[in-house]
Amino acid sequence: MPKKVLLVDDSTTTLMMEEMILKQRTAYECVTAKDGLDAIARAVVEAPDLVLMDVVMPRMNGFEACKRMRLESSLRETPIILVTTRGEEEYVEAGFQSGCNDYITKPIDSFELVTLLNSYLGE
Amino acid sequence: MSKNSNTPAGPEISSQVVGSQAKVYAARMRLQNALDQADALDAIREIAANLIGTEEIAVFKVDQKRSELWLYWSFGVDPNKHSVLEVCREPKLKQVLAGKPVYRLKLSNENLLSTEDPASALVPILVDGIACAVIVLFRLFPHKPGIEPVDREICDVLSNCAGRAIEPYHSR
Repeated sequence: MPKKVLLVDDSTTTLMMEEMILKQRTAYECVTAKDGLDAIARAVVEAPDLVLMDVVMPRMNGFEACKRMRLESSLRETPIILVTTRGEEEYVEAGFQSGCNDYITKPIDSFELVTLLNSYLGE
Repeated sequence: MSKNSNTPAGPEISSQVVGSQAKVYAARMRLQNALDQADALDAIREIAANLIGTEEIAVFKVDQKRSELWLYWSFGVDPNKHSVLEVCREPKLKQVLAGKPVYRLKLSNENLLSTEDPASALVPILVDGIACAVIVLFRLFPHKPGIEPVDREICDVLSNCAGRAIEPYHSR
């Protein structure tokens, strides 16, 4: 069965781009969510193998969603990668404190994205 | 023949090609599916931030005499600093108004405009083949080294598909 990746972003442009890259370069199945709240609900139902999530989103941002996912027993061990526009130390630190495993900066580099996901999903 | 260690290997090249295609396709679809003028402007912001790498954007509309450009919409920049651009004082704008984008070269400190904020790219918005407005991309994200080939392709999409952002009834 293919591994499942939950893509979370309020930008349809980003979701479309990420989905295209992963469909063409990997065998992962993609499911999507448009904000942090939606992501938690989708993650509980879909039980993804990895979550790739934007930070700045309406309703609930990526940091908060990450914290809340870690409170769900089924998602405690799921790798979460945050997508951020900033690579500054304090911002990255806030991401790790929220419980994420890794981060990637926008604009996304396709090779970096696929390599990072493969490293967590053992492909 | 020695192999250059900076040259990307096969899988990386394939990934970059797929990544570029995905970005260009996503940009085109986002603009073509914009619901209305406000959504088209939001699409420009989304594409600039997520696909190119800047959150400082302005759209200037060309006046009838084509001698001045007036600020029409902006995001992430102080609109009071950029209310008008005079074509006679901005040599790069002549090329842009002729329909060709202008980009700041990588690692160059040159500012494309005489504005306080450094401009990284000037992209004409073409309506029926005529430049009716110009998108100015100011500072790129600090970790972004400069405008890359894929960014130029995305800017071409902006140039040809963003008409709806300035002409609400422009057909897609």
